[in-house]
Amino acid sequence: MMENQGNAIIEIQNVSKVYRSRGALFGVRAKDVVALRQVSLKIYKGEIFGLVGESGSGKTTVGRLIVGLEEITSGEIFLDQENVTGLKGKALKAFRRKVQMIFQDPYQSLNPQRSVLDTVSEPLSIHRVGRSADRKEMAHKVLKSVGLSPPEAFFYRYPHRLSGGQRQRVAIARAMVLNPEFVIADEPTSMLDASISAQIFNILLKMRSTFHVTQMFITHSLAAARYLCDRIAVIYRGQVMEVGSGETIIRNPRHPYTQALIDALPKFKGSGEIKQYGTLLIEEREVNGEPMGCPFYPRCTVAEIRCEREIPGLRMLEEGHYVACFNV
Amino acid sequence: MAEETFRTETKGMERYPGLTAFLEGWGIFRQSLLGKIGLVLLIMFALMALCSYIPPLIDPMYNPMTGVDPVITCSTGPSRAHWLGTDFMGRDILSQLLAGARVAFMVGVSAAFMSIVLGTAIGMTAGYMGRFMDTFLMRLADMIMVMPTLLVVLILAAVFGQLNIWTIVLIIALFRWPGVSRIIRGQTLSLKQRPFIEAAKVAGASHVRIIFRHIMPNVLPLAFLFMTFRVTSAIIIEAALAFLGFGDPGTVSWGMMLQWVWKTGHMFKAPYWLLPPGICISLITLSFYMLGRAMDEVLDPRLRKEDQTD
Repeated sequence: MMENQGNAIIEIQNVSKVYRSRGALFGVRAKDVVALRQVSLKIYKGEIFGLVGESGSGKTTVGRLIVGLEEITSGEIFLDQENVTGLKGKALKAFRRKVQMIFQDPYQSLNPQRSVLDTVSEPLSIHRVGRSADRKEMAHKVLKSVGLSPPEAFFYRYPHRLSGGQRQRVAIARAMVLNPEFVIADEPTSMLDASISAQIFNILLKMRSTFHVTQMFITHSLAAARYLCDRIAVIYRGQVMEVGSGETIIRNPRHPYTQALIDALPKFKGSGEIKQYGTLLIEEREVNGEPMGCPFYPRCTVAEIRCEREIPGLRMLEEGHYVACFNV
Repeated sequence: MAEETFRTETKGMERYPGLTAFLEGWGIFRQSLLGKIGLVLLIMFALMALCSYIPPLIDPMYNPMTGVDPVITCSTGPSRAHWLGTDFMGRDILSQLLAGARVAFMVGVSAAFMSIVLGTAIGMTAGYMGRFMDTFLMRLADMIMVMPTLLVVLILAAVFGQLNIWTIVLIIALFRWPGVSRIIRGQTLSLKQRPFIEAAKVAGASHVRIIFRHIMPNVLPLAFLFMTFRVTSAIIIEAALAFLGFGDPGTVSWGMMLQWVWKTGHMFKAPYWLLPPGICISLITLSFYMLGRAMDEVLDPRLRKEDQTD
């Protein structure tokens, strides 16, 4: 598919994020929480990259670190080969013109006091793009492209007069109005009905085909990632477990955790997918002392002794398919 | 049923968001009995305040402060020339009462407005900036909050002599902002965490923009709600101050009238003089309070139909 042919538009190198606990006045200081440990990913121009993981795996943190909503603890982020780690002031503003984000909850991500036109044209006025009439024109265009038509009918509506799907379309329009190079979609459909989700997916696909926007799609659902994404990275407890093309991850998963995720997908009789990997332990294994090995070790059926002590790095199995497991 | 009507009312008005919001709020407001009573009372007092300009025009003896009936030298009961009677030196009580309404509005609204502006600005600053600024401003607020306003004003009045009405307004405003700022700070803190603020940040919005375009519109309704409660407390403080003899001697307020009743020994002799200002003070504070409660209902997000879909 798209892998290795284009340049990496976004590259993150050895990124870690640690949430330090505040020192307590009384009692013991709580432990620091490691949200991401040495994560490295490359996202190529024009692709839709899926980041799949369960809640608490750090998938959203990756997105928030890239757009700069949170400070990175260590590691570096590159946009078009340019280091964009910890940007400030003007450079940050310029960066934000190129990288946008679609948030999870459309009921929370729109300001209830601002109309659709206000919301969608705000990025334009922040970055001083065009005059007010031009902005209206651009907002009109982008609202139309996300399927809110006629756009005039939505201009002066307030979020509480919109449905969930319409709100998320407005949020997508806001992200797209600056014509960014890269958009992060953070579980954009988790608050929506299945049929609406499909529409949102199609809008994202359309964004890629018409505006050539590279996207990172963050989700907990392998099925959604498979539908949408060219390449998929599976993340577990802050570490990347497996990276590969969508097809490879679904048809030929090699990491026990990915296999467990595939097992967990609902399957229909007669669909031909009857293979069960059975890599998930029913009962978690106890870990003695500080956990220092593979994060999946406590739940893995095929774990060895060294899995408890050492963290497996990502190894390339074949072109574009990386797995972090000693066993493959 | 009620919702149906307001739907039709708002149809075609989507271009005027302010009007739509107002009509929507009115739809909820008018279902509240408290609010309607409060509004009617308030309109009555507003009319009184407006009418206060009329009596001095009819005859200079109806001037609330300086007009003295040439033939009357002591307090008399209601008569044709003086519908509510006269005070101890022959001034018309009705025109004093009307002037008092004007003063009550002036004191209440301006003190409340100032304390709201101050409280909102400080609350938003504390909530948005956090850290040191938050701690500093909120401890300051705590310190002022525990001071009894009336007592402080009394001490200031004792030290500086008679206070001008605007000085009193200013002092009330300076001492009544902490409650507002606490509420606004809380609201700002919760707003700051909301995804739409993050979305604005990702779009590249500056702090100034986030504060004025995203946070302020969301806290202002709450601030205005608090204004009605602040009006009540400002009027009461001014009345108490005047009654105790520390009011502005050049202004006819209801508290002042009560003080004259008391000082000249008419407390139990002249109900026509004592009751009107007393009742007016109670009713105007009550009406602002009721209005505030009704607006509370309008602004309560749980009562708002947020999830309405078309």
